This record gives sequence, structure tokens and C-alpha cells, in this order.
Amino acid sequence: MLLPLNNQKSFEAINHLNQLVPDDYRFNITLFFTIKLLAANTILKIFSVARDHYQLVVMISVAFLMCGLLTYMLFYLYLRRKYEKTHEKWRLISDLLIRKAVFYEDEELEDEVVIPVTKRATKLLHNKRFRKLLTAEIMSAKKNITGTSSDNLKQLYKQLHLEIYALKNLKSRHWHIKAKAIQELTIMEMSEFQSDIYVHANAKNELVRMEAQTALVQFNGFEGLSFLDIVTYPISDWQQIKLLQQLAHVPQIDVSIETWLASSNSSVVVFTLKLARNYHRFELYDDILPCLDHSDPKVRLEAINFFCEIFTNETSDEFISRFLKEILKNRVAMVKAMQNVGTERDILFLLDLLDDKNHEIKLCAARALAKIGENGLTSLFDYANTIGYPLTEIVMQIKGELAA
Amino acid sequence: MKILVAEDDQLMLKMLEFRLKKDGHEVIVTRDGREAVAKLLEFKPDLVITDIMMPYISGLEVVGAVKKQYPTGTPVIILSGMGQENVVLEAFQLGADDYITKPFSPNELSVRVRRFDATAVK
Repeated sequence: MLLPLNNQKSFEAINHLNQLVPDDYRFNITLFFTIKLLAANTILKIFSVARDHYQLVVMISVAFLMCGLLTYMLFYLYLRRKYEKTHEKWRLISDLLIRKAVFYEDEELEDEVVIPVTKRATKLLHNKRFRKLLTAEIMSAKKNITGTSSDNLKQLYKQLHLEIYALKNLKSRHWHIKAKAIQELTIMEMSEFQSDIYVHANAKNELVRMEAQTALVQFNGFEGLSFLDIVTYPISDWQQIKLLQQLAHVPQIDVSIETWLASSNSSVVVFTLKLARNYHRFELYDDILPCLDHSDPKVRLEAINFFCEIFTNETSDEFISRFLKEILKNRVAMVKAMQNVGTERDILFLLDLLDDKNHEIKLCAARALAKIGENGLTSLFDYANTIGYPLTEIVMQIKGELAA
Repeated sequence: MKILVAEDDQLMLKMLEFRLKKDGHEVIVTRDGREAVAKLLEFKPDLVITDIMMPYISGLEVVGAVKKQYPTGTPVIILSGMGQENVVLEAFQLGADDYITKPFSPNELSVRVRRFDATAVK
């Protein structure tokens, strides 16, 4: 808009303009045109003062640049303020909607709960930003609330057809949108879409995969572990811990896990061994024995850990026959396990280990001997007396441990 | 019953306020521990409900402040997340009277609050 450069007339024009617009925008308009007017005046002054042509061009450019920058800043501030106000309004609408859903239980006792939704809110649902805000708020409330109120929130989510958008996001090319969509469907307990989620349990992206696996266990408990049939990517240690934690909160059922012991994915075998150990699956003893000869040392280690808790009189023989072929870490695990599985037949083997180069193996062997019984303890003391340092020190420590 | 609620999650705070007001209580809401401690003297509540994880001052410090201010009265209910058992124990050592684990049902909240309401009909 062009304004007269005479200051008096310009301010009159601004005042006139201000009367035509709502109160909220007056400040912005006054500021915008005042700055424009000042900039125009400055340019005029520059013309009158600057004599040198080059200087003049530079000064005019700077003045225009400043003018442009100020216009941009004001426009940005105006838009931001407008967005913040709208956002606040939307937040109030979504809060009200959620509150209605959470406390709906007291009002009606119908079979099919229908949460009252205002026309305005329904209309706003076409707006992507509002939908995003409302979904985030429903999810946040759902995480903090249980019982009927939680069911009502789920009903509200379905009633507003928000799951359709989540399913649409599930097909996105971007991994983070996919992962978020799976998380949303999990929190909102949309188990009817688990077949759509199942395909992502072996997704290329680790986070998508993790979310999908978590969702399946959340929906189905132990039966949700069926994704282990199709997983070809490794299951990280962190994900294994998370899945075991989730399973700890669901009723235990004996699902058939033997097939996973033969999986070509080592991490699936490791996870299965952890399951077998945690849930005391004694019947799998014979199925797990071949895992001690697995090509992956992590699988062998987990198998040793299993046999440390679920063992027979022959378990120590299985360890001894494989001891020399094992890597150091697994050897240490085996000797540690001997504290549980060792018998008097193993005393000679353990005495041999007291001469091992590795001090940890020496200490574990000494502990195992002490745990085997009177004979083991006597053999340990006698041997230590003949060898001297460092076995005498180790024996001192074990004596202390036994006394404690 | 006058209830002071301290919770940093705005939506949760509004829901607590709504429920407690619906149950007929006078409610004052605060968005962090510092505000809660500041309002203790001014409001003289009959019950304090506080979240544990809050900005500036934690719920544990709020429990400590309530018990210091009102050694004999004013019970405190703490809102804790899953897996915060150690913090709950610490809160009990500081004098907390009850706790509710999130997620929780609003009905459960009402029942627990009623236990501390001396004016309620038994």
C-alpha cells in the first residue's frame, strides 16, 4: 500500500486504517506502516544528503534490505501470534473432548458408548494439525488412565476415525512416521489392525521393527512372539530386555518355542534361550544341548547360562567336553556355572584350572571347588598350600566369602 | 475438602481438577513443585496430591515441605509412574500417606481421596 510521505497525513491514514480492522491486528498494522514510513523518509534523506553516486546506490540498497527484513520479521511475528492463538483454541477444544470421554462413564450406561462430539470439533478434524494435536492429547491421556475412562478414550479415538490416519501413516515412505503410527495404534489398543503391523515386524528399519514387535506382544502376550518365525534381522539386546519386561506383565502360557531354537537368526535363538531360562522350561533341556555347539559364541554363552539354572548330574560333563574349544568369555561362564552344576567328579578338572593363566578362571574354579562340598574344599586348600601365591590369596578370599 | 494438586502434565492436571471438583472438593492446581510449596501456606489444604517428577522441585520435596509445615495433619497422596517403587518408598519415609500408580482410574482417585475426607459420610 502506498502512503503519503507527509508525516501528518500518513498517521491520519494509519489511524483510519486501524478503525477498519479488529483490535488484535491494530498494533501490528500501526507498527508495520510506521516502520515503512520511517524507511521511506530515510530514503528521501539519503537522496538529499548523499552526493556520490556509488555511495547513494549502496545506501539505498541497505535501506531497502532493512525495510524488507523488517517487513519479513513483522509478518513472521504476526503469523506466529496467529498460530499460537489458534493452537491454544484447538487445545481447549481437544481438552474438552478428552474430558468428556474420560468422565462419560457417570452419565450413560449404554452398550455402545457414543461420546458427544461438537460439530466444530468434527469440522476441525479435517485439519491435519488439529488432528495431530488431538491424537497426541488422547494418547497422553490414555497412557495415564485405566478402567472405563481408558475404554472411553479408545472409543473416542475410533469414533473420530483417527485410526484411519494412523493406518495411512503406516504406509508412509518415512520410517519415523511408520514407527509413530505403530506406537499410536499400540497405545490406543487397536488390536484389529495387527495384521497390518505384523508385516513390519521384520522391517528394514530397526525402530519400525522394534515398535511392531512391541505392539504384537502388547496385543497377544506370548502368542505375539510368533513374529520370531519371520524375523531375519537381529533383535538387539535392548529389544530383548523390553520384550521380556512386557511378557512379565502378561499371564504365562506355554507356547511352543523349540522351533525358534533352530532359527537361522542367532538373536532369535539367544532370545529363545532367555525365554526358556526365565520361564524354567525344563522339558527343553535336550533341545538346548545342541546350542552348546552353535557357531555363534553368543548363542553358546546363553546356552551355558540356561544350563547354569536348569541342569542335571551330566551337565558338567557337557561343559568339560567343550571347555577347550570355547572362547575365554564362555570358558569363564562355564567355570562360573560349575559353582551350581559341579559335582565331586569334577574336582580334578577344577584343580587343573587353578593353574590357568587367567586369574578370573582361577578364582571361579576355586569358588566352584568350595561349593562342591567338603572334598572340594579340602582339595582346594591342599593344592593352594603346595602352590602358594596367588592361590593362597584366592583361598583367603573364599574363606572370607564362606564366613560371610 | 480443600485439595492442592501439583502436576506438570497440563492435561492430567485438568482431568484431576475436573474430577475432584465434580466430587465436590475445592481444588487449587499448581504446575510445578515450587508453585505448590508456595501455595501451601496461602491455601492451607486438607489434602495434597502431588506428582513425583516435576520441574524445579520434585514431588518428594513437596512431601517434605508439607510434613514440615503441617507435622500432624494434611495427608499427601503421591502420583507415581510404573517402576518408581524406590521413589515411592522414599516418599513414604518422608511421610507420604498414600500413592497412586499411573496409569490409574479416576474412580480409584475418588475413592482414595474420600479416605482422607473427614467430612464425608462413611
